[in-house]
Amino acid sequence: MENNMNYNAPSNSLKKNKKHKGIESLKSTYGRLFVLHWEIGLILFFVMPLFQSFYYAFCDVSFAGGEYHFDFAGMKNFDYAWNKNADFTNNVSESLLSIVGSLPVIVIISLILALLLNQKFRGRLFFRGLYFLPVIIASGVVIELLFKTTTGDLSSSGVSDTFASNMIQVDDIMAWLSLPTEIGAYFGGLLNDIFNLVWNCGIQIVLFISGMQSIPDSLYEVSKVEGATKWEEFWFITLPMLSRTLILVIIFTIVELVTAKDNVVMSQAYTLMKGAATSYGTASAMLWIYFIIVGAFMAILMLVFSKLFLKRWDTGGRS
Amino acid sequence: MTKIFKSIKDTFLKFKNSSSETRYKMIIKGNSVLTAILRYTILIAIGYIILYPLLYMISSSIRTRESFYDPSIVWITSDVTFENFGFAWKVLKYGQSVLNTIIFEMVSAGIQIVSCSLVAYGLARFEFKEKRVLTFFMFLLILVPSQMMMLPIFMNYSKLDFLGLLGLVDTLTGIDIRPNVLNSIWTFYLPALLGVGIRSGIIIYIYIQFFKGLPKELEEAAWIDGAGPLKTYIRIALPSSGVVITTITVFSLIWHWNDYSLSSMYLYASSWPVAVRLSEITTPEAMGVLRLSGDDPIRIAIMMAGCLMFIVPILIVYLILQKKFVKSIDRVGITG
Repeated sequence: MENNMNYNAPSNSLKKNKKHKGIESLKSTYGRLFVLHWEIGLILFFVMPLFQSFYYAFCDVSFAGGEYHFDFAGMKNFDYAWNKNADFTNNVSESLLSIVGSLPVIVIISLILALLLNQKFRGRLFFRGLYFLPVIIASGVVIELLFKTTTGDLSSSGVSDTFASNMIQVDDIMAWLSLPTEIGAYFGGLLNDIFNLVWNCGIQIVLFISGMQSIPDSLYEVSKVEGATKWEEFWFITLPMLSRTLILVIIFTIVELVTAKDNVVMSQAYTLMKGAATSYGTASAMLWIYFIIVGAFMAILMLVFSKLFLKRWDTGGRS
Repeated sequence: MTKIFKSIKDTFLKFKNSSSETRYKMIIKGNSVLTAILRYTILIAIGYIILYPLLYMISSSIRTRESFYDPSIVWITSDVTFENFGFAWKVLKYGQSVLNTIIFEMVSAGIQIVSCSLVAYGLARFEFKEKRVLTFFMFLLILVPSQMMMLPIFMNYSKLDFLGLLGLVDTLTGIDIRPNVLNSIWTFYLPALLGVGIRSGIIIYIYIQFFKGLPKELEEAAWIDGAGPLKTYIRIALPSSGVVITTITVFSLIWHWNDYSLSSMYLYASSWPVAVRLSEITTPEAMGVLRLSGDDPIRIAIMMAGCLMFIVPILIVYLILQKKFVKSIDRVGITG
């Protein structure tokens, strides 16, 4: 209350102002109150568990007498995961390869779709409603049931098999163009994965469209007056203005792919986590190894991205 | 056919005989027709890819055993049956698990929408020293997958201990009052209340971007008129952020509805939501329920029926909010 009065009569005395630090300090107190519960939450559900799981990775965990016991074991868990468990290293390299392969495709497909959906045309609302459907239904569980052909009578009739077999044979085209078969295999794999990829684009499209909406119209008007083509408009206005959204989308996509239910590393660690307490240490160690690798990958990507694009775009220089 | 050819020929002749100005106009028009054709081709092609799994689910869930293995039937059988949905209902324990989803997940989605908007408002509108650190933590919250924290949180839940306070009581008096909250609503409500629920990071981020775009003047006027910060937030900021709240509501409801990993970790089988039941649909135990009652179902048809039943409730919510949601995306303004 005192502070409020102080604000109403700011010219009265500077001394008083100094003593109570004025409206700014009051406002910062209020700001702190707004985020207070979140700070507690961060400590309880983020920082502490993170340190705990780091600690577990170095421990032999056991469960006895209603309590968990932790015995420090050094690098044993890491050693087991990395050197002795052949599945783990295979899974890590497999999942990293699949991330590297599908990340650019997802980003490019969602960018193209967002560009299309952002234009004004008849039936736009209908198509938008349709294209956001994957956001609604693309949950890990449904996708897994649909695409992972598991056991018994399922193996013959997965969705992507039936679909891809109806499409053109990629290998034939590659052979016809006399391109190396590796590229053909890559594109063939993409075609087989097309559902997974398109269904993963939902939120990315949403992010891109709202990024595009925040580009000021005046830029496009200027470019029209200057006689720029649509192509130039895209390269010199839309893409540079979207660079920050692009980073967000890339990060989001990587996190999505890493945490997806059908990620091989994730499911391996998950099985361990649901098992006995003795495997908790190994599970933690696996997760930490995996996320340190993915984190390093992300960091490199961000660094390259900001070096290559952000600087050039910020200074407005043409390539 | 001849009509079309004639009209094409006419257009061509008109183009040949006209002045350069009308020619230019015609080229522009032709271009826009071409882009329209291209646009609709791409949109419809990918639209088909998006719809295909849905159609596949519908098509295979309404088949009987005979028509299921009949290769001559492509999409819709003549003997449509709905018995697969009945089987899926039994396997999923649908009524109970939907109720569980509402109690555990939907309510905490509602809590999360409110608590995260408070956090975002605080971070977007006020200046204080720790703000930079907290913003950094928000990005960390987006970046670090929740699976990293799952195991420790699971273990903490089995003996809930508020920052060691209850544990202190234990060591002092010897009475263990730390409650086991596993399989209770608090496993979901507590993080949601504290703004660290499912994907809170990205939700707070979207909120912040929106609040930053709101004009400050209204709120400042309210301040000067003597409204406190909470009153300003409830009376001024919230009513003008219907757009972002729609987006967040759709996202949060969907993410909670689809949540599999957390609920299968923190909850016991009796309180499993639909998502976990669905993921267990292929296990022998789940199918055993049917075998016991003497039914002989086709597994894949039941799986697809289950998928449809899993999707339908959230699809209805989406269809209700769809118009608002699709429009709101234009105006949320996430810039990064």
